[in-house]
Amino acid sequence: MSEKKTFKTAQLMKEMMKKYYEDGAAAKERGIPVAWVTAVSPVEILYAAGVFPYYPENFGAVAAARKVADKLSVHAESKGYAHDLCGYARCGIGDAYADEHPIGEIVKPEVLFCCNTQCGSLPKWFEVASRFYNAPYFLLDAPLIGNEPEELCTSYYKEQLYEMISLLEKITGNPFDYDRLAEVLHLSNEACRLWNEVLDTAALKPAPFGFFDACFHMAPIVTMRGTQEAVTYYQALKEEVDERIKEGIHAIPNERFKIYFDHIPLWPKLRWFSDLFAAHDSLVAVSQYTHSWSYSFDLNRPIDSLAEQYTEEFVNRYFDYRLQLKMNFFKKYNVDGFVLFSNRSCKPNAFGLYDKRSILSEKTGLPGVVFEADMSDLRFFSESQVLAKLEPFFEQLGSS
Amino acid sequence: MNTEVLEIFRQAVEDPGKEVREWKEKKGGKVVGFLLTDVPEELIHAAGFFPFGICGGTVRMDQVEAHLQFWSCSYVRNSLALALDGKLDFLDGLVIPHTCDTTRMLMGIWKHVRPLPFMDSFRLPRQVGRPSAKQYVVGELRRIKDRLDDFRGTEITDEELSQSFKLYNSNRNLLRKLFNLHEQNPASISNKDLYTVVKASMVIEREKLNMLLSELVSVLAENAGTPNDKTKIFISGTFLEPLDLLNYIDESGGAIVGDDLKNGFRYIESDVAEAGDPLEALAERQLKRIPSASYDIPENLRRHFLVKTAQQKGVQGVILLHVKYCEPENYDYYDNIQALEKAGIPALRIETEFGDTSLGQLSTRVQAFMEMVGGE
Ligand code: SF4
Repeated sequence: MSEKKTFKTAQLMKEMMKKYYEDGAAAKERGIPVAWVTAVSPVEILYAAGVFPYYPENFGAVAAARKVADKLSVHAESKGYAHDLCGYARCGIGDAYADEHPIGEIVKPEVLFCCNTQCGSLPKWFEVASRFYNAPYFLLDAPLIGNEPEELCTSYYKEQLYEMISLLEKITGNPFDYDRLAEVLHLSNEACRLWNEVLDTAALKPAPFGFFDACFHMAPIVTMRGTQEAVTYYQALKEEVDERIKEGIHAIPNERFKIYFDHIPLWPKLRWFSDLFAAHDSLVAVSQYTHSWSYSFDLNRPIDSLAEQYTEEFVNRYFDYRLQLKMNFFKKYNVDGFVLFSNRSCKPNAFGLYDKRSILSEKTGLPGVVFEADMSDLRFFSESQVLAKLEPFFEQLGSS
Repeated sequence: MNTEVLEIFRQAVEDPGKEVREWKEKKGGKVVGFLLTDVPEELIHAAGFFPFGICGGTVRMDQVEAHLQFWSCSYVRNSLALALDGKLDFLDGLVIPHTCDTTRMLMGIWKHVRPLPFMDSFRLPRQVGRPSAKQYVVGELRRIKDRLDDFRGTEITDEELSQSFKLYNSNRNLLRKLFNLHEQNPASISNKDLYTVVKASMVIEREKLNMLLSELVSVLAENAGTPNDKTKIFISGTFLEPLDLLNYIDESGGAIVGDDLKNGFRYIESDVAEAGDPLEALAERQLKRIPSASYDIPENLRRHFLVKTAQQKGVQGVILLHVKYCEPENYDYYDNIQALEKAGIPALRIETEFGDTSLGQLSTRVQAFMEMVGGE
């Protein structure tokens, strides 16, 4: 809503992210290797090794939010990358071939680290990029797991963490510093703890903070967890949210309903969606997406703990586990309904949603709906089709 | 060439459930289906089950709409549609290899809509260049074997494994002979029949298959006619489907001399070592397969493999088949075609779909390409 008070920390974040990108651009001159990395990867190891971790997914999200995803994507499409591939990948590949760079050029990698818990698009995209930029590519491979963690998968991942560390030692020329890793893990724990405390305030009714706020404030937890900056940032955000609670400033003016949302938001339509929900007195309170960064590492067994936590993420789990996770969130945030976004870009999160919708409604009795669109590409967005799905949902909410 | 035995293969493809239904009736055994084809079939076979390859088929597609988005690939949609329509009712089990995000997510949906007594995934590694990969694959195979042991009630013995390895190796050896005959003398068996036999090999009982293949190979070898003067073609992609596509290559005087398809030569290219630890042998085979889009292999990069093979075989053109919405394949396409172009090898990309019968448009494109590379 336009009258909504913006967060003071927003300014802080802008500065921080600006500096982050400047550091990335300057890294090469300073002799710091730039490593591409994925959002749900043990970036802590990269921070500890002293390389600069750069997130091409974030580049994609920024392009999407600035509504230029399609412009970058056409450069990939003209080479034969279909428009139904992940929008982030299309932006990244498109930028490589483009001669115009509406959001600045993607930072070129000297090495690429990819973890495939999230999806199979990232490894394929990183393979393409590794050929294009002629830089070595390293995959942290994680087999999907069920309800129970599996020794087989954890030890496979752990083995690969050691392989990753040896590669980093070769690249930096320095032995890996495990003491530094412990410090980084501690900072990561702190940032995650604060971030989750902020997210949890969305359970208050009325709440000072919701999912769309979280989408705005999540960049540091994705890109900078493991640094002091991220901790400082979320301390400031936490303080501000606490103040809002005291002063009675709410995320939306008239909160009647709480909604669960799956998964990534539609970046170019963030405002449109948040206004739409607010206009129906509905606060999107929670999404598995923003909760992806909830680590708590055991500093006494750092490598084991990294292997466990990164492979046991919900993005690396089967159907039933994800269903249960959603229901846990329903309960914890006491939601009145759920909206599932069948995101054309993101197949691993979209496939299965049709059945999940019916199972969730059956099990919880809550109204729920699936709608179709794309997180970054407005060519796949139809306002009327989305409204045709959401309006009846809002009516159901109102009548229950 | 029209032999009786070829007719059996054609019928098996026409009605993929026919052989397995008869087998089930006669033997009362269990059938474990699998999605193509990065699956340790030998383990399933050693347990005494019938490994059945789900190869697509004509089926109503309306029921699947409620479970899978239209922008998932037609192979997975077609497979689930077959299950929903009761066309896979003979299955007691299912193994899905994780080759992409779609296959990774499919199990949950399938379990929910058509639960089977035995359901498992073969969680393929997505990197194969480092020591950790082999160790993992062996562990994953052991896990699947343990589950099969449980499902059967007794442990699969080394003797049983060794029997199955032998039989599968023999099947593959015969199929390779067929490819070889076709390459030397394409008149002996058409492209379409060749790939029909590969497809049929996934739905016919393995013991019977061995007999049929032996017969076919000996009949064809006897009639070896003129050597190859056809336009040599390599096919690259995930799946060859629909088979009717091959009619156009047959009609325009082309001979397929190689492929990297899950339902083509890649399926039978290598064997499982019969000596040594059986699970290690299975893992070794999986890791050394012809490169595909599921992962790049550092010492055998897919685009280098394509160029090298095309050059070795004197291929005149490469056809890149792209099953619509197949993501991994799509990510490989541009670099593959660049590599081919650089080596001066003409290539054509065509988009295909399982269950698609409107091939009209493709025929013109394939024929034009064949004319161009045939040089006549
Ligand atoms: S949006 Fe989905 S497909 Fe794209 S990078 Fe993220 S997890 Fe992968």
